[in-house]
Amino acid sequence: MRFIIDILVAFSVFFAFAGMVGMIRMPDAFCRMQSSTNIATFGVLGVIVGGILYAAFYLHDGGMTIKIALLGIFYIITNPIASHAIARGAYKHGVRPEKKMVVDKYGEDLVEEE
Amino acid sequence: MKKIKISAVLSTAILCFIFWLLITGQIISIFRGRPSTQVLIAGVLVSAAVGFFSGRFFIHKKAFHLLGARFIYLLQYCFYIFPQELWKANVDVALRALSKDLPVNPGIVKVPSNLRTDYGQAMLADSITLTPGTITMDIVEEEGQVYYYIHWINVETEDPVEAGEMIKGTLEAWSGRIWE
Repeated sequence: MRFIIDILVAFSVFFAFAGMVGMIRMPDAFCRMQSSTNIATFGVLGVIVGGILYAAFYLHDGGMTIKIALLGIFYIITNPIASHAIARGAYKHGVRPEKKMVVDKYGEDLVEEE
Repeated sequence: MKKIKISAVLSTAILCFIFWLLITGQIISIFRGRPSTQVLIAGVLVSAAVGFFSGRFFIHKKAFHLLGARFIYLLQYCFYIFPQELWKANVDVALRALSKDLPVNPGIVKVPSNLRTDYGQAMLADSITLTPGTITMDIVEEEGQVYYYIHWINVETEDPVEAGEMIKGTLEAWSGRIWE
């Protein structure tokens, strides 16, 4: 069981590392956000599942197990809303990539509305 | 003021009470046969109050819509269908970030959707945002058709329908199955 927990945490750390590297290397704000989603999903979920297993089988603490699971559920529910709000806010505020995007339907339609 | 629906209040209160049982650890005490009456009564009162005041914000249509087969679909979606998509997208974006020449090709595409209910649309938008590589920027309704603006890290096609197929995959069908 200990082995499985270690694997899960290592897996998470790998994805968090990849996301971090992506955040530094990506060319513009929106691509950086895409990379940060990497951390927000598998980077967190592996640790959460590992924590649940650890609390259940090593600490024998039911309350802690349930609380970690709830933490994971609320994290998953709230995270996409925050990323959506940040991306939309940044776009409406006028953040644009330096290199032109391949296609920008949102910008075209916003201009038409005005 | 809008009329307060009993079913909305009741379902919100039940959800709150379940959450209260979980977060206070009472559910374990119940299984062991010695729950604390004080905590349970406080929970009932607080969840009744919360349900009374906020039920009408949470529940707009059928309150017990999810009970039954749809709940099984929801569980299947959360634990089987969605993790598969998540795995594919995560590996893809991680490899992109770690590869030498950084192959990104970003753009915002406009994608039509057939979902009609608010809950289904919200769930699909959240699922898309949660998958690395795609972020929902906005949802608009034009002439009865719902469109999503999606920022996509690797634009492979600009055609709305084709892009929709590639981004949404099986998610839309499942979202429809659960909420409609």
